[in-house]
Amino acid sequence: MTNATQLPVTLGLRLLRGPAGAVLVMATIFVVATLAFFAINGREAVSLFQEMVMGAFGDSYSFSETLVKTAPILLTALAVALPARLGLISVGGEGQLYLGALFGTGAVLAAVDQPGWILMPLMLAGAMAGGALWGVIPGLLKTRLGVNETISTLLLNYVGILLVSFVVHGPWKNPNSLGWPATIEFPAGAIMPQFFDTRVHMGLVFGIVAAIILHILVTRSRWGLGLQVSRSNPRVGATAGISYERNVLIVMAVGGLLAGLAGIAEASVIQNRLQDGLASGYGMTGFLVAWLAGQHFLRIIPLSVLMGGLLASADSLQLYAQLPKASADILQALLFIIVLAVASLWGRRRDI
Amino acid sequence: MEYFATELLTLLFAALRSATPVLAVVLGEAMTQRSGVINLGVEGQMLLGAMTGFAVASVTGDPWLGVMAACFAGIALSMVHAILVLGCGANQIASGVAVLILGGGLSAYYGTPFVGDKIDTLGNLNHTFVSDIPLLGQFLGPITPTVLITLLAIPAISIFLFRTRTGLRWRSTGESQDITRNLGHNPVHYQLAAIAFGGLMSGFAGAALAVDYTANWVEGMTAGRGLVAVGLVIVARWNPWYALPAALLFGASEALNLKLQSWGVNISPYLLATLPYMIPLSVLMLSYRGLRASGGGMPAGLSVVFQSAR
Repeated sequence: MTNATQLPVTLGLRLLRGPAGAVLVMATIFVVATLAFFAINGREAVSLFQEMVMGAFGDSYSFSETLVKTAPILLTALAVALPARLGLISVGGEGQLYLGALFGTGAVLAAVDQPGWILMPLMLAGAMAGGALWGVIPGLLKTRLGVNETISTLLLNYVGILLVSFVVHGPWKNPNSLGWPATIEFPAGAIMPQFFDTRVHMGLVFGIVAAIILHILVTRSRWGLGLQVSRSNPRVGATAGISYERNVLIVMAVGGLLAGLAGIAEASVIQNRLQDGLASGYGMTGFLVAWLAGQHFLRIIPLSVLMGGLLASADSLQLYAQLPKASADILQALLFIIVLAVASLWGRRRDI
Repeated sequence: MEYFATELLTLLFAALRSATPVLAVVLGEAMTQRSGVINLGVEGQMLLGAMTGFAVASVTGDPWLGVMAACFAGIALSMVHAILVLGCGANQIASGVAVLILGGGLSAYYGTPFVGDKIDTLGNLNHTFVSDIPLLGQFLGPITPTVLITLLAIPAISIFLFRTRTGLRWRSTGESQDITRNLGHNPVHYQLAAIAFGGLMSGFAGAALAVDYTANWVEGMTAGRGLVAVGLVIVARWNPWYALPAALLFGASEALNLKLQSWGVNISPYLLATLPYMIPLSVLMLSYRGLRASGGGMPAGLSVVFQSAR
């Protein structure tokens, strides 16, 4: 007994049983969890939640701030998702971001008197080299010695942050900054282009373009196919002339390079200088976004915007509603936990 | 010569005290990994333990209550990992990072009111018979209770793991869940206990740091100690006895960092502060070389998680 009205219903139900249903369940649980978190802490849960959404997407200024946060999240998420294509779990986005800022700033300081058309490419090249270096090191440790990349990237994050502290407190400190640990202000030629009188900058464009290019490379090119083969069976790959070792170095370097761009964008556009606490936490948020997206490059783009919105609204709520900054971390963690749980259970149920 | 020996012993005992929180995490995480589960969330559990321990010590005025509360906080947070990994079958690394972020966030959120509080400490061995021991007394005196408890945990864990039936099944779970199942036991029960024990030890480690070692709470104060500990578990070859020298590596690099600064060595303190990460990482490299050659005692169930796509 099928009739015309039943068809959409069955189709809808079938859709809900798939990924769309999982996303709906995740979103519902996350909203409930967020409301519960606010309520437990004695806040007006619903109105605070509304303010949060408005703080992220409410007007053009809020949305521009959301996009400002999106850029580093997007780039560091790509730095996680690309190595994941080879089965590597890199948590090194944070350190690579700092190293990018460090090397990029180094290039700016070395060529500070040069015109913008020399300075800007030098700065970006420096940033990419720095980030790539902090990706290649754990890559080499992995291929040469077998050191687990998760642990080495996590430890190198701390080293990278300390290296930036070292230069801004020491050799690169601006003598006229009255004790404030920071470099000199970047010259105009080293400030990355921004759009529509906002702080939204080229980093976002880099991220979107990189995501699209990576998606095409990984799904459509020989190299991308090689990654898949290498991942599932390095030996088979080797007989086909695909070097697992070389691919590890490539994905770690390219990932690091992208995170490095995020770092120099923060220093150049947001801070106008290199200083302590450049971008605390973007690397971890990027890791989270990459996982939420299932390491899928194109899905990372909208999810980075959403997560950028969460961080931007947390910033504005910190100002207007005295909501502690740490709530952004807690909400991110809750979202991550919910998504991991639902996705794992959903996948398992479908297997049965 | 005597000066040199004194300096060296001072450094060693300073290393022991700063190594204690890391040692506790290494011991707990080694036990967790022995059951075939890796938990990167120990960093977050340690932070939540440190904050909870400090807050309870500050509110009740009893540092021991703080230590106990820290242990419970560590266990509670580790259950998030248990639910995700054992209950939902989520990826262990991702789940660990989720717990890490959650612990950092919760401790920062609820710890803010306690920043700058003064708490009573657990005391030390000064003014006991120990500090009257000739020659060694001056070094043993500053040792605090959490150091002793952590050191005592080494033989206790070792006896449990290698001399009891339960310990045998615990280890077999990490090697092959099928063996445990065929013996008529549920491997998940062992893994649950292993995650909880890791939670207990990391919560305790947080208290050892905040309530005992520094008597202070600062946001993010563990500064990667938990993650260093996860690396050192490999250096220690999942063996509680080797956990001590492995953790001392961290302690020694931190003590050396402070010592070099106090000697006025003309190196930036920020560069010196990289030592507690660089030295364990370097030893980890050497250790992996040995591991590759010999297999090195890694629980077989772990190699799936550890050596993905190799």
